[in-house]
Amino acid sequence: MPNSLISIGKTAKQLGTSIDTLRRWDRANRLPSVRSGPRGHRFYKQTDIDIFIRNDSSLAKQWAMDQTGIPPSNDVYCQTRDVFQARLESLQHILTGKVSESSMSLLSAVAGEIGNNSFDHNLGNWPDVMGIYFSYNLKNRNIVLADRGLGMLTTLKRVRPELRNATEALRVGFTETISGRLPEARGNGLKFVRAVITENPFTLKFQTGDASLFLKMRDKDLSISRVEEYIRGCIAIIGFEDSL
Amino acid sequence: MIIELKKFGTILVSRPSGKEAWLAFQSTLKDVVDTEDVVVDFKEVLVLTPSWADEFLTPLRGRFGRSVTVKNTDNASVKATLEILDKNNQSSIIGMRII
Repeated sequence: MPNSLISIGKTAKQLGTSIDTLRRWDRANRLPSVRSGPRGHRFYKQTDIDIFIRNDSSLAKQWAMDQTGIPPSNDVYCQTRDVFQARLESLQHILTGKVSESSMSLLSAVAGEIGNNSFDHNLGNWPDVMGIYFSYNLKNRNIVLADRGLGMLTTLKRVRPELRNATEALRVGFTETISGRLPEARGNGLKFVRAVITENPFTLKFQTGDASLFLKMRDKDLSISRVEEYIRGCIAIIGFEDSL
Repeated sequence: MIIELKKFGTILVSRPSGKEAWLAFQSTLKDVVDTEDVVVDFKEVLVLTPSWADEFLTPLRGRFGRSVTVKNTDNASVKATLEILDKNNQSSIIGMRII
């Protein structure tokens, strides 16, 4: 019954979010409700919920691609690292019991590395909106992180000026122990992400500039393609469809 | 000495919090002689990343070298982090012994 009306409580359960968040999304026109009954309670159409779920990662992408930088809605916006840390802890709690302890730990670590990378490399240099977009969807079993930062090419050019394009930067970032933060001799983060994704039933789609990487379990090589849609910063979609 | 990482938190992910942990712990480490055995205990740590570990474990290994051992490393992110640190460690110290 795709067009029957569903209560706000059942909708919140389906989306793994709170009733308050749904009210905020309604007011922001992000997921509009249908008002029904004598008291005008909020109800939702299943088709609207489905569209909303499918568009979760595209909302982040649109935000990252937009010409004008506007902070996203509060429920997905982590302006500072502290907010991100708190929401990462929420994710860890939410994943507990829904996936294995091992998957919970590794997914939180991968999301933590990618999110913190955005802060590490853009601190004091955000071109417009500081902070990151961070959302997760248990039904679609994915985690989305995006930033409107400088992007990997600009960051890595500081230490590797010979890099010519985003594809090269993406490859270097995921294969070499290198840090764009001179003089720090670090840079294990994305190698860690690659190792975890390829050794577990996870997937990762990562885009910076016009270069897009897709990684899955048992991948030996990096599959990077050029895409038409340009993102100055970065977007990462971590999938855990097959993990228990 | 035994360093219980859970006393710094159970979700150890960011570089600044690792750096802060290392700095805060200096007052405790100043009384430890460089030849003393140092045990890093990961009990109850839920999430660890290389960014945090690079700021705490790498300098710890730099100071105490092979005297550093680790225990309770069953957590999947702890294992994965220690593996990547060992693989990419640029200092002369090879891996930490598990006790």
